[in-house]
Amino acid sequence: MTPTPQELYAQREQRFNDIVALKKPDKIPVMPLMMHYFPNKIAGVSNAAVQADHFLMTKLMKEATLKFGFEWGAAVGVPPAKSCEALQMKQLRWPGGDLPDDAPFQWVEGEYIQADEVDQFLADPNGFAMRTILPRIAGIFQPLSFIQFPPTYWLANAYSTILLAPFLSAPGMKEMFEGMAAFAADAQDYMAAEGAYWGEMAAMGYPCPFVGVGFPAFDLVSDYFRSLRGSTLDMFRQPDKLLAMIDVMLPASINLIIGACKATNTTRAFIPMHRGAGGFMSDEQFEKFYWPSFTALIYACIENGITPMPLFEGDYTPRLKYLATLPPGKVAAHMDKIDRKKFKELCGDTMCFWGNVPPSLLATGTPQQVKDDVKELIDLFGDTGALIIDSTVGIPDEARPENVLALREAADEYGVL
Amino acid sequence: MSTELTDAILAMNEDGALKIVKDRLDAGEAPEAVLDDARSAMTTLGDQFACEEVFIPELIMGGEIMKGIAAELKPRITAGEAAEKRGTIVLGTVHGDIHDIGKDVVVMMLEVSGYEVHDLGIDVPVESFVAAIQEHGAQVVGLSGLLTLAFDAMKDTIEGIDAAGLRGQVKIMIGGSPVDEQVCTYSGADGWGRDAAAALQMAADWTGGAA
Repeated sequence: MTPTPQELYAQREQRFNDIVALKKPDKIPVMPLMMHYFPNKIAGVSNAAVQADHFLMTKLMKEATLKFGFEWGAAVGVPPAKSCEALQMKQLRWPGGDLPDDAPFQWVEGEYIQADEVDQFLADPNGFAMRTILPRIAGIFQPLSFIQFPPTYWLANAYSTILLAPFLSAPGMKEMFEGMAAFAADAQDYMAAEGAYWGEMAAMGYPCPFVGVGFPAFDLVSDYFRSLRGSTLDMFRQPDKLLAMIDVMLPASINLIIGACKATNTTRAFIPMHRGAGGFMSDEQFEKFYWPSFTALIYACIENGITPMPLFEGDYTPRLKYLATLPPGKVAAHMDKIDRKKFKELCGDTMCFWGNVPPSLLATGTPQQVKDDVKELIDLFGDTGALIIDSTVGIPDEARPENVLALREAADEYGVL
Repeated sequence: MSTELTDAILAMNEDGALKIVKDRLDAGEAPEAVLDDARSAMTTLGDQFACEEVFIPELIMGGEIMKGIAAELKPRITAGEAAEKRGTIVLGTVHGDIHDIGKDVVVMMLEVSGYEVHDLGIDVPVESFVAAIQEHGAQVVGLSGLLTLAFDAMKDTIEGIDAAGLRGQVKIMIGGSPVDEQVCTYSGADGWGRDAAAALQMAADWTGGAA
């Protein structure tokens, strides 16, 4: 008898949860972590068009999920263009902005907190973010960099609110409020499209992989504020201040995930990891600057009933000895580049293996090469079944459709346990 | 050769290294000798990186220390006395991709290892690579990319270099997170590297020197 969508939904949830818990599933699923522009590229629609039209984007994502037979609807990974425009965003570049229509959005790394400003940030993170970081990352916040607001509590009475008038009418403030309103309208539209997408997918039997996203505290500091160069130099020139910034950002790292999961009633969280990979630091530096706040985040997720889904970007083979100490059966480890056999040997009793099919194969290889690669994974992990098929960071934008289909066909052919 | 300066650089002792440089210059030592010692430290750092004894933070910090030393020494070294270059390399992030972290580390390591490096920046059009190869007489070209769109951009660039009749005079290396042997074959590059150490090794092999 054909299962109902509700039964399919429950089976797929169960399959994922069993694999994470290291219980042998009935079969190996294909579950892309996310998709960016693959769905629109195969539909002949430009990146700029889906960046601007959220309902078009989610429609094409739904079509791709159904067409290739994935076991869940991949997460939305494209930031909204009109929101970025409204904020005059400088920390991102996007198609339809100053990038060509078929380019992907890209991050602009920079030292948004300079080395000699770290003390100011540590003394007043909230005030510094408002007066200095926001104007640097988004043009509409420029007035905040020169308006000297008094502390809010000085003005929190009926008589003194009048004193706000000169600040609120300062040059650029009207444009800032208009920009924020335009941003809010588009961001609401984006969230509405995403909500409708998850509702529709669930009704057809496809779970949502995650809504909550949070970075390890080191990456928040390095990616967002200090840059690779800046955070690296901090390790030598001002290590105590770097550690203090990590301490400041740890609650953000934890609470943003827990808040998003509670607000959306979801129990999985995506944790992209950037600067802890092999080559990026020594074991000693990793133990001092990266691992403690990362594990704090992982344990906070678990204690709050959330399955952490760290994406170990880069080559984490040199860190497997650390990963092996995480609580068994609690972490859904998505791997980018990794020595598969070493993972199985060191972490096979600790966590499942997810991803790692090279994007180069999906974008430039043949279906047979893809099938051979998936078979190699199933041969290695099939005994326990602790395996989920995906590429390194979800389905690559340039993947050939026949190769993506080969992922699924190989899982169907070799992955029934 | 004084080991005091190389030891300070390898220990990432920035203030100590700069003080040694100033003391040696004040004592009347030739700036070229001081520069040779500093370069020797950076070569050792590259070797240590290749052996996975040090990692990207030490390369970046070592590069910063070297920058400080070079600023101190440059006004005192005349152009004619500048060290002979080991080879000329044109390098950039391919068109469509604006990432530069990996490229910058490779550029820095090649420069401190004595190569003349022309960094074309990010999102570099095919014709800019072709023009730079012609202008500088490059022996080696490095193509960097982080995004999967870089696979085709690398292929385009190599085909463009070929179409300009320059393929025979240059060796081409590619690198970046998603790059592997499959992409090397697909793009038609001569070699690919996982990190800056691999780039240094290829440059040395192709210009007839030691890494």
